[in-house]
Amino acid sequence: MQLASHFLGDILDSIIVDVASECHRIARLGLDRNLEEEEEEMKLSAQARVRVADPSSSSEANSKYVVDIFGQTHPAVANEIFECMNCGRSIMAGKFAPHLEKCMGKGRRARPKATRSNTGASQNRYSRSSPISTYSPYSSSSSVNRLSNGTPGVAGEEYGDGAFAET
Amino acid sequence: MRRASSINRPPTPDAEVDQEQELSLQEIINIKLIESGEKERLKELLRERLIECGWRDEMKAQCRAFTRKRGRNNVTVDDLVDVITPKGRASVPDSVKAELLQRIRSFLVSAAL
Repeated sequence: MQLASHFLGDILDSIIVDVASECHRIARLGLDRNLEEEEEEMKLSAQARVRVADPSSSSEANSKYVVDIFGQTHPAVANEIFECMNCGRSIMAGKFAPHLEKCMGKGRRARPKATRSNTGASQNRYSRSSPISTYSPYSSSSSVNRLSNGTPGVAGEEYGDGAFAET
Repeated sequence: MRRASSINRPPTPDAEVDQEQELSLQEIINIKLIESGEKERLKELLRERLIECGWRDEMKAQCRAFTRKRGRNNVTVDDLVDVITPKGRASVPDSVKAELLQRIRSFLVSAAL
């Protein structure tokens, strides 16, 4: 229905006039002076970004001697040396994190994540305790059973009358 | 008593009533749009959509570019309207057009009842 299009065009024209009028006002009052500087900045930064992203540009960018905005250069690995507060060794700053990973794990073998069973690390801890259990006097087997919710027999004895408490 | 004959009166309303009947359908609907406030609501809706999709920013950029070339004080509103009208009409997103046309058609239907 071109009647609808006619009205759309009508409304659009009115909005166009509003925009034009506003731009005219801004232009005549010089309110866009800051904007020009901003636009210039945006253009320059976009250009700079292109230059940085382009790997085939000047050899400067490929070497380790890229210069930051203060004119400083930095090596790929931080090379300040200081003392590790854990072991007292002299460590290079850029190598500190991996060193700390190993250094603070001392007292344990490297990366003891994979154990023989897959019932969780807590089992390992309990298996080191004495075979005589101190928790459940009714349990006659090893501590492994103690951790599970126990055989129905155990629970039954606990409740005395043999009825397994159900909730 | 005689009426003052120096009074000049505009034509009586009767003549205008005849004119009204010659209003086109378009004009009648336009009046209904305006009187119901729907035209203003449609304009607000369109304005909002055009801002959202960046159309307004694009038009303003065009105006600024034109102003830079011509010189700040050599630009008139009409110049700017001429600059952005063709591009403006052409660059309205289809989804926006569809939405507005839908609403206008609904109004037309309800106005006809």
